[in-house]
Amino acid sequence: MNTDRIPDPLAGLMGRLVDASAGERLVVSVAALFTAILVGGVVTLVAGVFATCSNPSLGIFCYNPFAVYRYLFLAPLYDPFVFQETLKNSALLLFTGLAVAVSFRAGLFNIGTQGQLVLGALAAALVAVWVGRAVPSGPIGGVLIAGVAMLAGAVVGGIYAAIPGALKAYADANEVITTIMLNFIASDVAFFLVSAYFQKPGSGSVETRDVPASAMFGPELALAMAILLVLAVTYILWGTAFGYDLRTAGIQPDAADYGGVDAKRMIVTSMTLSGAIGGLGGAVWVLMSVGRWVNGVPALGFDGITVSVLASNNPLGVLFAGPLFGSMQAGSLSIDFQLGVPRQLVGVIRGLVILLVAMPEFFRTLGVRWGMGGGR
Amino acid sequence: MRSTLRLAIFAVAAVVIGVLLLAEQLFPGTALGEFAAVLDAGYAASALRLSVPIAFAALGGIFAERSGVINIGLEGLLIVSAFTGVAVAHWLTGDGTAAVGPGIVLLLMIAVLLAISGALLGLLGDTFEEMAVRGGGGVLATAVLAGLTVALAGPTLAATWLAFYAAVLVSTAFALLFAVVTIEYRADQVIAGLAVWLIALGVAPFASNVIWGAVNSPGVDTLGTWTVPVLSELPAVGPVLFDAEPIVYFLLLATPLSWYVLAHTSFGYWVRASGENPKALDTAGVDVRRVRYAAVLLSGVFSGIGGAGLSLGRVGSFVGSGTTMIDGRGWIGITAMLFGNYNPFGAFGASLLFASLDALQFRLQQLNYAVPDSLMQTIPYVTVIVVLALVGRTRTPDAAGEHYDSDED
Repeated sequence: MNTDRIPDPLAGLMGRLVDASAGERLVVSVAALFTAILVGGVVTLVAGVFATCSNPSLGIFCYNPFAVYRYLFLAPLYDPFVFQETLKNSALLLFTGLAVAVSFRAGLFNIGTQGQLVLGALAAALVAVWVGRAVPSGPIGGVLIAGVAMLAGAVVGGIYAAIPGALKAYADANEVITTIMLNFIASDVAFFLVSAYFQKPGSGSVETRDVPASAMFGPELALAMAILLVLAVTYILWGTAFGYDLRTAGIQPDAADYGGVDAKRMIVTSMTLSGAIGGLGGAVWVLMSVGRWVNGVPALGFDGITVSVLASNNPLGVLFAGPLFGSMQAGSLSIDFQLGVPRQLVGVIRGLVILLVAMPEFFRTLGVRWGMGGGR
Repeated sequence: MRSTLRLAIFAVAAVVIGVLLLAEQLFPGTALGEFAAVLDAGYAASALRLSVPIAFAALGGIFAERSGVINIGLEGLLIVSAFTGVAVAHWLTGDGTAAVGPGIVLLLMIAVLLAISGALLGLLGDTFEEMAVRGGGGVLATAVLAGLTVALAGPTLAATWLAFYAAVLVSTAFALLFAVVTIEYRADQVIAGLAVWLIALGVAPFASNVIWGAVNSPGVDTLGTWTVPVLSELPAVGPVLFDAEPIVYFLLLATPLSWYVLAHTSFGYWVRASGENPKALDTAGVDVRRVRYAAVLLSGVFSGIGGAGLSLGRVGSFVGSGTTMIDGRGWIGITAMLFGNYNPFGAFGASLLFASLDALQFRLQQLNYAVPDSLMQTIPYVTVIVVLALVGRTRTPDAAGEHYDSDED
């Protein structure tokens, strides 16, 4: 079993992921999700012992995991506000999940979607405010403003992701660390730019002026755009020569080189594409959710990693994983307000899902032990 | 060529500091002189203090990666231990009295659980007797350490130390989880490491909220400082090296010790062999699996010292908002490890370089220069990127990131 002596650890991983059949990966993802939910439930139950009870009827266990999961997964069905929030979060997570999936497919760990989203959102907000002054109000003006703003978000996100891409390609700098550092830098720089130059007058928090109302849109349109983008990226990855090059450059850089692909340029291109999608997500966050750039951007980029990993980095899988986490993020506010369970619980589950999806061997072992056949 | 570059960067840093020190003497009162005036003994002490979490993460990373397991979850381990230290300290001392008894019980419980997990994983030996001796020995050592601490320190200080030990053990338990996932279940090391980080990023603020109703903890006592009687009177080096926090001394001890263990002991040889050529090590009759477990657990111990050393050493509270009080120091530690080329001394030097920039950033903020805080905060992060771009890919151990299956079964 020590045959795959591929020097690069990433190549080994990608090889294994490709070896596993699509069905097997689906089973692993579903099993990982359920295990994460189970472990999350135990964490909730145990945490309740240490909490101060708001509802003493539960004895020493202050938190009821079933109630928590009812809010996290079912609240959108009966609470219109949560439903709207779910739609918004789902749309945003489709963008960030897709952004991560594109880079992971190319064999690049772009952990910097968060930073690309933060700066993309800032660019979109500033451009929308600036263009909004010149463009007459009205629906056509609104479409124009939104279009230019989203373009700005994508361009800035793309450029910001091209930096670690170029550093990886031409200076061999590990992209995991550079993108994480760029996340820190992005939030500091955005904070500085807004507080020093673009502060909304009279506001106590660090935020830009409001974008024109005509440029704002609802979650339905955002979802439609996200789904179209997912389909487009799926087509690009599996239906075009460029997509083939991108995927092979990630899985087997040497083979791609041999086939005449400039692997270094491909790294920069894939990172740019991934960052542009992340930046677009930032623009949608501004134009759909908040109407301006405001300090304290939610961790959509990190959730995007979970969405992508859960979807086996498959864009079509993102279509299912995105709304799942969108619902959980929307419900996390409810568990905080209604049940007094800290909303960071969703962050715990986010990490658990990644950990469990990363260990398919665990579920194979379980499957064999429970006599379900299969195995290796 | 790369090693020349490394030396060049260190040399440039040294020259810059030298020039600034000179400028302070030659041009007092000018902008440059004023800028240089921040570099005093207090600055050196704070740089050394700030290097604690970075350097301990780097030392831990060296052991793990040299054994063939890339542990990029170090940031998560720092977060977990920083939080656990404060949480336990607050539990033991929060109501004004110091409850040493429950602290010892908690510590021994964690130690026993770790020993049982180790035995179940077959890490402590093959026969029941071996397991009992080694597991029991570990628990006994913990008990002796706790007893000595209580005997030597006053109740409040002893309780804080017990919290520190508990944090180190919890960080080790997290490292054990990572080890099981990557070694036993062959998970991808990069993804699993990211997961450890993201779990910690969720768990610490979650638990803070559960316990204190906020992501930030109330204040607790710190471990204080240890002052060496005569040596601390020495000019210049005295206040920096001999009037420091306990963890700083630990770091000054751990760096040469790690180097010695890696370079001159059979355990260090096994660690290196397990990362370079596990097959040969296996053939020589050494269990690669156990070596890798030991190395990853060591990275948990080191990160635990670094994380709890930050929260209990100086700050005396846990900050869980945003990216938590660790704020990327684990990632900077990984960069320090790469920059130091997996050598403990090199990693320590690189950590000191990053920490001195961090200290500079804090100093300049205090002096109210025209440059805004938020931009100055980026200095260490930008430096990390520049260093990575200059040093680029290091020669990673041959088998790093790969699983090793012994053909026995």
